[in-house]
Amino acid sequence: MKKLSYGSLILTLCGGLLSSALAQTTSPAAAASAAPAAQAAPAAEITCFESRKGASEVVKRDIRPGHPNVKCSTRTGAVLWWGDPFDGTVPMGDMPLMDKIPAGKAVVKPRSDKLPLLAACGTGCHNGVIPPKLPTSKKPVPMPTMEAMMPDAKNFQHGRGGIWCLDCHHTTQRNKLVNNFGEPVSIEQPQLLCGKCHGDKLRDWRDGIHGKRIGEWASTGKKRWFTCTECHNPHNVQDGARNRGFIQIAPEAPPQLPRGMIDAKHELRHGVAH
Amino acid sequence: MLSVSSLMGTAALMAKSDDVKATVEWAEHFQGNYRLMTDAEKTEARARLERRYSAQYSKKVTVDCTEAAPGVLMGYALNIKKCIGCRRCVHACTEENNQSRGERPGERIEWIQVLRMERGEFTKERMDQGYPEGLGIQVGGNAYTPAGAVLEGQYHYDPKAVPEKDANYMPIACMQCEKPPCVKVCPVRTTYREADGPVVIDYNWCIGCKMCMGACPYWARRFNLTTPVLPKEAMNPVTHYLGNRPRMRGVVEKCHWCLQRTRQGRYPACVEVCPVGARKFGNLLDPESEVSQVLARKNVFRLKAELNTFPKFFYFYD
Amino acid sequence: MDKLFSFIADYTRYVLKGGKMFYAWMGILALLIFGMLYVFYLQNTEGLIVTGMTSQIHDGLYLANLVFLVGVAAGAVTIVFPAYVYHHEGMHKVTVLGEMLAISAVIMVMVFVFAHMGRPDRLWHMIPPWGVYSFSSMLGWDVLVLNGYLILNFVVGFWYLYSKYTGKPVNQKIFMPLVYLSILWALSIHTVTAFLIAVNAARPMWFHSMMPIRFITTAFAAGPALIILIFLVIRNTTKMWIEDSAIKLLTTIVIWCLGIAIFLTLSEIVIELYARTEHANSLYYLMFGLHGLTRLVPWFWSAMVLMVGAFILFLIPSVRNNMKRLPIPCAMAFVGIWIEKGMGLIVPGFIPSPIGEVTEYYPTLVEWLMTLGIWAFGFFVLTILLKGAIGILTGDVKLAAGKAGEAAGLAANPNTAASA
Repeated sequence: MKKLSYGSLILTLCGGLLSSALAQTTSPAAAASAAPAAQAAPAAEITCFESRKGASEVVKRDIRPGHPNVKCSTRTGAVLWWGDPFDGTVPMGDMPLMDKIPAGKAVVKPRSDKLPLLAACGTGCHNGVIPPKLPTSKKPVPMPTMEAMMPDAKNFQHGRGGIWCLDCHHTTQRNKLVNNFGEPVSIEQPQLLCGKCHGDKLRDWRDGIHGKRIGEWASTGKKRWFTCTECHNPHNVQDGARNRGFIQIAPEAPPQLPRGMIDAKHELRHGVAH
Repeated sequence: MLSVSSLMGTAALMAKSDDVKATVEWAEHFQGNYRLMTDAEKTEARARLERRYSAQYSKKVTVDCTEAAPGVLMGYALNIKKCIGCRRCVHACTEENNQSRGERPGERIEWIQVLRMERGEFTKERMDQGYPEGLGIQVGGNAYTPAGAVLEGQYHYDPKAVPEKDANYMPIACMQCEKPPCVKVCPVRTTYREADGPVVIDYNWCIGCKMCMGACPYWARRFNLTTPVLPKEAMNPVTHYLGNRPRMRGVVEKCHWCLQRTRQGRYPACVEVCPVGARKFGNLLDPESEVSQVLARKNVFRLKAELNTFPKFFYFYD
Repeated sequence: MDKLFSFIADYTRYVLKGGKMFYAWMGILALLIFGMLYVFYLQNTEGLIVTGMTSQIHDGLYLANLVFLVGVAAGAVTIVFPAYVYHHEGMHKVTVLGEMLAISAVIMVMVFVFAHMGRPDRLWHMIPPWGVYSFSSMLGWDVLVLNGYLILNFVVGFWYLYSKYTGKPVNQKIFMPLVYLSILWALSIHTVTAFLIAVNAARPMWFHSMMPIRFITTAFAAGPALIILIFLVIRNTTKMWIEDSAIKLLTTIVIWCLGIAIFLTLSEIVIELYARTEHANSLYYLMFGLHGLTRLVPWFWSAMVLMVGAFILFLIPSVRNNMKRLPIPCAMAFVGIWIEKGMGLIVPGFIPSPIGEVTEYYPTLVEWLMTLGIWAFGFFVLTILLKGAIGILTGDVKLAAGKAGEAAGLAANPNTAASA
């Protein structure tokens, strides 16, 4: 585990994508396929990310002999295959309109495990009370501690100036998020917060159309749901080279050229000569 | 000629493997069409295969024969607005399904192909030019011009990062048609539509005539041009008779919606790996399933619908 | 029964004896056949990766030759039909030679099927009761009609030869219906072969109703062209004299069918290229290339030149009626149609793939060796069959004189000094 990358995760409570991108230095070693000496014991640890780098790394290990928990891509470091989709998951907390799903059938991977300083957020700094000079305007004031933890605090890339820190983070219980009524929301249930503004996405996510699930396909089956912040970094949804809202990732390898073709350059020429 | 080539093939196999039990047993050559087998024959065939695969790949391989569950019709939906062309579905599929992977042309088989399409645009500059016709005949205006070099799709794209600004992506694999043209043309009825929806192939019965490959409008089927190259470490030992069990030289293979997983209730590998959640899978007969919800609420279309193949693979956008 | 055994014995003895040219010819063919056997071994151990076929273009030289040869086999009907339905005297005498050609062509087709399949060791899967026969599959029907045609021609041809051998006439009540059946059957084999590729909605280059008629007309142009060439060779190397009227009638058939075939090709080109939809991509690739890939363009244009050139030459009386010049347009037509069927129809049907991928195909040495070997095998069989048939037709092989088989070689005919 890289302490440095996890340290940068703390300030956003969900992971700062930029800082983790900087911290991520190694790419995974030789992956499962075609490696001559593939068995794990003396070889380097293989880590790959499930949804986005910095949010959800897993270490490859064997669940049973010859059956790994994940298979990783040698090219991009992403998880390509899950051996056990429910490895490390806990049941999802209660949510409105989720009563159709039987208990224990919706599970998530907890985020708080990956955020070691989260517990401290609740008590460190003003020990859970409102600080004396709460800002009157919705503009972040310079705070060296905060800026050290989240460098882009003043250039917040979510909502185009329409929202700020305390729209999502609870004022006094700082290890929790907040809903419209000021009630604290667990960090494990970001959907209760995100759905405030993104209701159509929440509805689609609840019904399985938006977002990612792994596990059993039956509507009454057990599934691991990927929560909002596993795929989306809420501090950085607008920033950087994004096309259609997605941060760019490296693609996997193109298909093999069939016999008879030297290269694929013909694809870059117009079909019919003009 | 039949027996000569069969003997030659057997001899060659025997020469290559180091384990006697990894050779193809005589009985396997003469087994019948899977659908016509009695339960006893199926058990025997399954045991034979498990023996052979376990010896060949030096690990315990299981060959499942689970039948279709009643009340299930598998369906698939893919959100083309979300697809970013990362091709992880292609590679997750090969990790799960034991495709041949080698360096010689034709040795690497991938069941999914991702099409990259460029956007064009209308521009003022070309308003007065004639429509480009191959033989120089001008018919209309040419305000429409491709943004990049080409408008036709590409399969071998390899940019540094996806999604690219001016491109859309669309993965294509077997559509698991309700009226499959491939099934109709098979001379030995080795490919057929199972009761719960997917179109499957009995690899031991396929004669390799490739009629099905010619009939498929979606180019979903691949041919094993040689003995599949599958390293022992990479082999997925959890297999299904009609699904991902290792194939042999000279037979056709294609996507089967990961039967080894879906018959046990799990999502196909491509559905699980998609990083943007573009792929949805479920039971079309269950109104609560994800795919039924997509069909009910989203704008849905299918490829080449005019060919009346009635695919169960839907594309949607939201 | 005794007569049958002596027929087989005399026939075999006659065929095995020949002059230097005969043995040299058969020797070269045998060499090529060995090449074919070696390549077949390679294909069944390494797999079809030794050919140029891919998952995109999975039908190459083998299917092309297969389809062409079905046409040649069907072309034998152009002899049988005039002979028996129109009672054309000249043709009647040589009908059985056409049937021999049909037999060897169908045998060639079957060997090409073995070469083309991924698993020829599993062909028994198609034969009930051990296998499964699918009534919806055009390939199933093709196998059925081809085998039926082979059996029909074999029965009709050899019964006729046997009757000539024994001097006893055939039983017309059974023979004639079989002949009429073989005429109809000839049309069906090539139509079903056309259906084989034309019923695929996935392949717009083939998916139109013009395919069967194109197949029939090109078959009836290529088949008789080959037969004319064979007849001229027979005239020059054996003592059998084939009448001018037979050759002239065949020439007329070739001209008509070649003309219609060219017309059909032209109309296809105009219709496809006028609207130039994506369905015309295959034809465009063939004629001009796509995305800068032009491997088949020279083949298409040479096929056109050959076919049109042959047609024009056929129309000139001084070429058509001159037995020394006639082989030229016949060979041109034969080669032109061979190219047009193979490179011009089968391979471009896969370019682009149904989802738009453009790839190219080149046959490997393995494929050429196999093709040559199978053609050699076909000609080997053809030579044997024709030699035996000619022996019987000229009276050299007869039941009455038991020593007929000892007429080693053939008496020279006025046209040539060397015996064949």
